[in-house]
Amino acid sequence: MLLTEHEGKRLLREAGIKVPPGTLVRSPAALARRKLACPVAVKAQVPSGGRGKAGGVVRAATAAAARRAARRILGMRFGGEKPSAVLVEPWLAIRREVYLSVTVDPAADGYVLLYSPHGGVDIEGGEPPLRYAIGPAHRFRSYRLREILATAERDAALREKVVALGRRLVELASSRDCVTVEINPLALLEDGSVVAADAKVVRDECAAFRAADIQAAVEATHRREPKPIARALAGDLMLVWLDGDVGLISGGAGMTMATMDLIGDAGGRPACFLDCSANPTPGGYRLAFDLLDHEPKVKVILVSIFGGLTQMDRVARVMKEIMQERKSRKPVVFRLNGTNARRVEEIFAGSGLHNHTALEDAVAEAAAIARKGARA
Amino acid sequence: MSVLIDQRSRFIIQGVTGNVGRFSARDMREYGTAVVGGVSAASPGMEIEGFPVFPDVRAACAATRADASVIYVPATTALDHVVEAVEGGIKIVVYPGDGLPVRDAIEMRAAARANGATLIGPNTPGLISPGKAKAGFMPSFCYAPGALGVISRSGSLSYEACFRLTSAGLGQTTVIGIGGDPIKGVSAAEALELLHADTETQAIVYLGEIGGGDEYDVATYAARRDAKPVAALIVGRQAPKGKKMGHAAALIGSHADTHSAKMKALATAGVHAVGAVSELVPAVAAALNVLKPSQESSGTFTPFDKAQDRPRLRGRSSRA
Repeated sequence: MLLTEHEGKRLLREAGIKVPPGTLVRSPAALARRKLACPVAVKAQVPSGGRGKAGGVVRAATAAAARRAARRILGMRFGGEKPSAVLVEPWLAIRREVYLSVTVDPAADGYVLLYSPHGGVDIEGGEPPLRYAIGPAHRFRSYRLREILATAERDAALREKVVALGRRLVELASSRDCVTVEINPLALLEDGSVVAADAKVVRDECAAFRAADIQAAVEATHRREPKPIARALAGDLMLVWLDGDVGLISGGAGMTMATMDLIGDAGGRPACFLDCSANPTPGGYRLAFDLLDHEPKVKVILVSIFGGLTQMDRVARVMKEIMQERKSRKPVVFRLNGTNARRVEEIFAGSGLHNHTALEDAVAEAAAIARKGARA
Repeated sequence: MSVLIDQRSRFIIQGVTGNVGRFSARDMREYGTAVVGGVSAASPGMEIEGFPVFPDVRAACAATRADASVIYVPATTALDHVVEAVEGGIKIVVYPGDGLPVRDAIEMRAAARANGATLIGPNTPGLISPGKAKAGFMPSFCYAPGALGVISRSGSLSYEACFRLTSAGLGQTTVIGIGGDPIKGVSAAEALELLHADTETQAIVYLGEIGGGDEYDVATYAARRDAKPVAALIVGRQAPKGKKMGHAAALIGSHADTHSAKMKALATAGVHAVGAVSELVPAVAAALNVLKPSQESSGTFTPFDKAQDRPRLRGRSSRA
């Protein structure tokens, strides 16, 4: 979960990393009530990258200019998202911008620290950053980082500041369950001090059970989702809407994507990625049907599940019940296989339901129904 | 041969008193796996499905000489159970659970390595050496003994894929579910090395998806001069950019994460790479039977289309 700059800087500050003094405001009127030491930077608060290049960071020389900038930024969208607020900070007298981040990297067996002597908005176009593969946080060694920095950073005083910051960033990432902590730019000011001019922090949603702030942020994110997505998340289903009309109820990420691909190959278009494997219960499947039955663009529903832990005789019984009580008349095509799948046929017998043996046949039927519906 | 587990592996089930633990212990035994006991701190001394339940891993190992474990506990306590297993003398640990914080995955991997153990997982159905042993909950009927080593990021896709391979007469030495998370106990690169070293594995099948970098490790392996033939299925052509598709690592951020970039890298390295599960069996048959595309004069991919080129599973010397 990507935090806004303001949220990220709060974490940095709590870890003893210097950030500029900032004011968070949600409207131009709120800004009018604050005393500003101009010039200031007015910055869009939005969990999306590329904000600077899209005009989300503006220098304002006067309080009136700052209010105008805030009004304009709050009306913009960045990566499809509206800013929740603007952060107003003193405009920094920056001597140099460098790049510093800690992130999780499988090739490092854990955390990796990245540093570039040239920070700023064009970081991705330049030389690849220096790389210190740390592994688990407790393996951080300042002398190793110092050796690596010395190969490309000539300012010895700055190197020592980065070494000290590096340890704090690694400890922050580990102790507060951050997947990425990126400071770009890390600003070297005219007075020789170093501050985090920006913060891009990604926290690990899986750690919500042990971090109240992550839990609260996850819940807030879910509340902002459109209603069907929020309902799916609340029911432990993973739903992503796509552009097509073939609704897909599946289990397991790989199998769901494989079926989506086959729908495309059969001349159809998947309407969604809907993975029920985290909640393969009567309640979970009822919710899945309810979501797709109420979505007008879904013309047909394909149930494609290959169960391991999910026992398919139980799934078949639940499907039969749902088909009997369901009000929607959208056609449903089944392909159930996996543990205890040999019993599906006898469970479906006499109910009018048919279970396809081959996935391709089920996909072809669903795609054909959708095509016919589109012509009608 | 097989890798990591066989009929001599002696398994305990940590978390055996839960529904999943109990189901899996019985299911593994039905497959012929040597399950020798269970562990539950809350209910030691009882018997579950005929298995003795021990209070901790150390006691279980002392009484049963267990050397492998499958752990069915929630993500909240998973790290502690994995550490207990590897420090208690278990050499092969499977943790199937998902939703594990990445910091705990990092610590798990480090703990396994420090103790000379191998961790499979998280977020996996486990692994199976068909006809010998299974450590996890994959549906047994999908597998048969044979010459293919299979590596998969996705559980459900590996069932479908192996069901097709088995139905086509293409059996497996070992199927390793490396899992869908970014930090894994056994990575794709490490699984490739295990199967490369196994003399009975004639070809390697890799089941991958969008996002993450594992597919590039497969390409690096396949480009080696001594590589075994590799076939790959990569799913996610229909996945949109910037949306997580279930697995923590299945997200298209950069160009390298995309389906087309991965397919190109794999094909260039000589992998028989396909993008639809319906094309998997021909691709695997081609990997077993024809020269790798990079070694053909034309340099183009030739699908398995000659009727006389039937897959020969036995009596064919390994390329390695």
